[in-house]
Amino acid sequence: MSQEIKPGEVLLELEDVSLSFGGVRAIKNVGFNIKRGEIRAIIGPNGAGKTSMLNVINGFYHPQEGTITYKGVHRKNMRPYVAATQGIARTFQNVALFKGMSTLDNIMSGRTLKMHRNFLWQMLYYGPARREEMQHRERVEHVIDFLEIAHIRRTPVGRLPYGLQKRVELARALAMEPELLLLDEPMAGMNLEEKEDMSRYILEVNDEFGMTIALIEHDISVVMDLSDRIVVLDHGEKIADGTPAEVSADQDVIDAYLGVAH
Amino acid sequence: MFYRETGQYKTSYEADSSIFPILQDRIGIALMLIVAFVVIPLAGNDFFLSSIMIPFLIFALAAIGLNILTGYTGQISLGTGAFMGVGAYACYKLTTYFPDVNIVLLILCSGFFSAFIGMLFGLPSLRIKGFYLIVTTLAAQFFLEWAFIRVGWLYNYNDSGAIEVPERTGFGLVLTGPSATPTTRYMVVLCLVVAMTWVASNLIRGRIGRSWMMIRDMDIAAELMGVRPLYAKLSAFAVSSFYTGVAGAMMVFFWLGAAEVESFDVNESFSILFMVILGGLGSLMGSFMGAAFIWILPVLLRLIPESFGIDISVATLEHINFMIVGALIIFFLIVEPHGLARLWKIAKEKLRTWPFPYA
Repeated sequence: MSQEIKPGEVLLELEDVSLSFGGVRAIKNVGFNIKRGEIRAIIGPNGAGKTSMLNVINGFYHPQEGTITYKGVHRKNMRPYVAATQGIARTFQNVALFKGMSTLDNIMSGRTLKMHRNFLWQMLYYGPARREEMQHRERVEHVIDFLEIAHIRRTPVGRLPYGLQKRVELARALAMEPELLLLDEPMAGMNLEEKEDMSRYILEVNDEFGMTIALIEHDISVVMDLSDRIVVLDHGEKIADGTPAEVSADQDVIDAYLGVAH
Repeated sequence: MFYRETGQYKTSYEADSSIFPILQDRIGIALMLIVAFVVIPLAGNDFFLSSIMIPFLIFALAAIGLNILTGYTGQISLGTGAFMGVGAYACYKLTTYFPDVNIVLLILCSGFFSAFIGMLFGLPSLRIKGFYLIVTTLAAQFFLEWAFIRVGWLYNYNDSGAIEVPERTGFGLVLTGPSATPTTRYMVVLCLVVAMTWVASNLIRGRIGRSWMMIRDMDIAAELMGVRPLYAKLSAFAVSSFYTGVAGAMMVFFWLGAAEVESFDVNESFSILFMVILGGLGSLMGSFMGAAFIWILPVLLRLIPESFGIDISVATLEHINFMIVGALIIFFLIVEPHGLARLWKIAKEKLRTWPFPYA
């Protein structure tokens, strides 16, 4: 089975991954790794295949070629459900919260996999099911405190402004206590203040809980400040991989972002 | 002014997550239960009990069943009538084979048959959604109706093709059949409905209910949080059909006394669906409100001309009735598309801050 991965060791390794939809090749022979405890950024222009990459990692898409090794185990094609049981959580580019539920219920939904009381206990509620519910409520309240969203605990998430919805989505992912957290543009559409808040949360999550984070972001200055290592994709191909300093000095990256005369 | 939560502090998560966190709501629900359990059986006449309250409660239970599926899990079904039928026929067969077993127990058992059939017809929901799912549940409706007519074994090969409720006793009382008093039947129905509503509310506020709502709101994200769509959808179909099945069995055994396939036709499915939509998708309280609106309102409307001494023919009365109820449905859906339960909730929120809403 999967082995224990220490900080600094490779948690997830992608080798030669290719993904195509019909004739469109979204990802072409990309390979990189994510080490435990780091913040790994995936950047690139629109349509570079960044989100597809995340979808491959958590099992939404199954690549036609290439191998994925997670926690030292070579991974077959899996359902997103299985990825969740193995400790991979994510947020979405366009918020995918449960609109009809309150903030609290949304975050509690992150605890689904950790709750085990069966149907009969749930029917009775009082007793073991409630005790379990309250234990998890306490964990959820820690997350709520951490992200400073106590005041919107009871609000249906559909009614929240965009910035807060993003924060609730992060809270929901954190409630899963994942080993690998995938963030798809956590700061899209935010103002400066909200971006700063979000950056602070991401750094704290990484520092305090030692959570490994893979992040897609368009705001280059944020990415340079936050991440330990960056992989750059363009048109489905990997064009650079390294520390922020290395990547920002790379001629291919500069060309991809600024454009070159053909 | 009296509906305030001021000064009611929660000191534990248990208290904070109770169904009725506000004291006034708890008093309200207690009063309603006292009225239902004590006042109505003592004060209500036979007509009120057997033609208004018993069907109202039974329809409310069926609406809760459909609400679990449609309101909480987001899977629309038009097979409710047929699933009620499965419960009724199953109960009829069970009591034929086990005449000495308490009928209440058999009614609950017949729910399991309905749950099984519901799960079977819920299987397509794993692949198809929305309108297409409606069509497959409609197929369930027509197939089961066909079975209720063609499979003579289901109604013991009666010449009439109907199931007739035999006299059954339990708890030392005559519970079903012509000699069961309306009060007895009412009390049995009430106890079952209250208990099952309580169970439904427990399921909904726990992990299982949350996983249903997760599937309803965003199935992709739900799977990512560790909900298996197969389990969540099929358990919703099972629980929902269990409730409608029990409601169907109660409908025949405690209300109609005899039933043919017409009692479980697609119109029945529609009227339960209207109750759910009008009452409020995803609300238990709404299920009761919707059932009251669709069932009690027409009965009251029928009584009004009589009480004023106006003489209208029954047919005219029926037509006027349709028009008024229809217009009211449209009116309420325009005012609040989320149903009566939402209206009620908004009213309560307003009341909380009245008369100083900005303070």
